[in-house]
Amino acid sequence: MANKTVQLEIKRQATPDAPAVWEKFDLEWRPGMNVTSALMEIAANPVTADGHSTTPVTYDSNCLEEICGSCAMRINGKARMACSALVENIEQPIRIEPLSKFPLVRDLQVDRSVLFENLKAVKAWVPIDGTYDLGAGPRLFPQDQEVNYPLSNCISCTCCMEVCPQFNEETGFVGAATIAQVRLFNNHPTGKVLKEERLRALAGDGGVQECGYAQNCVEVCPKQLPLTNAISDVSREVLLQKAKDFLRG
Amino acid sequence: MATAQNPSTPTMRPGVQPLRAGQGTTFLWRKLHSLLGIVPIGAFLLEHLLSNFEALKGPAAYGAQVKFLNSLPLVRVLEWVFIFLPILYHGLYGVYIWLRGKSNIVYYPWAGNWMYTAQRYTGLIAILYIGQHVLRQRFMGISLPENPGAAFAKVQHELANPWMLAVYIIAMIAICWHFAYGIWLFAAKWGITPGTTARKRFGYICAAFGLALAIMGLASIWAFVGPTYRNAPDIAPLSYLAAPVHAGSHTV
Repeated sequence: MANKTVQLEIKRQATPDAPAVWEKFDLEWRPGMNVTSALMEIAANPVTADGHSTTPVTYDSNCLEEICGSCAMRINGKARMACSALVENIEQPIRIEPLSKFPLVRDLQVDRSVLFENLKAVKAWVPIDGTYDLGAGPRLFPQDQEVNYPLSNCISCTCCMEVCPQFNEETGFVGAATIAQVRLFNNHPTGKVLKEERLRALAGDGGVQECGYAQNCVEVCPKQLPLTNAISDVSREVLLQKAKDFLRG
Repeated sequence: MATAQNPSTPTMRPGVQPLRAGQGTTFLWRKLHSLLGIVPIGAFLLEHLLSNFEALKGPAAYGAQVKFLNSLPLVRVLEWVFIFLPILYHGLYGVYIWLRGKSNIVYYPWAGNWMYTAQRYTGLIAILYIGQHVLRQRFMGISLPENPGAAFAKVQHELANPWMLAVYIIAMIAICWHFAYGIWLFAAKWGITPGTTARKRFGYICAAFGLALAIMGLASIWAFVGPTYRNAPDIAPLSYLAAPVHAGSHTV
């Protein structure tokens, strides 16, 4: 297997307004190589396949073990985590592009802060701030732990939003990740104090109603979150909340 | 909608806007669209397919069914409030939903994504078909509310054109698909089937239901073009005032 070559084609863009260009790179194959480690090798020796010197490719990455959510990008057209994309399992040449639904910063780096804004908009946290010690919280039953744990695995990679046909500038859809976090925090014994606020927030424009149930989110999710189940549950709760609000005036 | 101001986001950001928490009315309009697809539109579709099935018993039975439906109290009000207006809203808002979605089956050719796309195309077929169907069968040619006995012949003349027959067959399949998958979507999106297994099982039920409807619908079409009732009278004699004729009680 020695001296095998790995071919990469990377979409480069120096600034958000600069024209996009494709650059080809040939790397020596190494066992266990993944797309992130390939990008690191290019950074160490930024020379294209036809021998031109170029700038290192800009990209987000951190943990290198699919737990931080940074390195989401489109690899051969599909959104996925670069660190868990093993080169030997991918068809070559490997075409690497930035996520398409988020404002581009440079090369493969995009601004995914809309997810943070969405999580803030639904208050995706457990409110425990106060001026005195609130003491131990209520007990979390094992049944609730079973529901919560898979939802807590979200790494905010935004793959679910990237692949969603409804997540775009026309709808301003909030996306599956945020809806799943509403399900998580509404099921937390202390977090549920904000349950009604979260549900009302999700009935706003761009809320849970924009889901078209194409189910791409649950297919692509690298952490196997039960996203469609969460959307279904939260949709019902939002509807019931709106009905209650309407009847109570 | 995209211009709604959110206190937490005073300036427009590039890219997809964050959730406009608790603001706007799309929730109401989208849920109305979803509900109308089941009642009254889905309920009406069922009624229509069942009524069409009377055609298998012949022109007199079919005419009697038309007469019965037109004898319902406030029938013109029922027609507009429970059929025309809901279909018009469901169709137009459906196109609006379609235009705001960005299909990506090229990159993600997964089953759910195909269904998402198919729901949009079948919906488009449905609204185009229904437009011409209502125009030509309800508002053009001989008026069936006044002449229910002419119903069978009117449809038979329409289907004598092989192009129109193809249109009816395609539309029948598309609409039954759209309704069956629409029921499945309704259950998923209103939280009736929040579990993966429940959605899978309900998927089989909806598929069987849709298939049964399509077969019934195609059988009714066959009644008009098949050999049994060839050259039906322009006005079939109806001996009943209100109730539909039952099999065996009437011969043509």
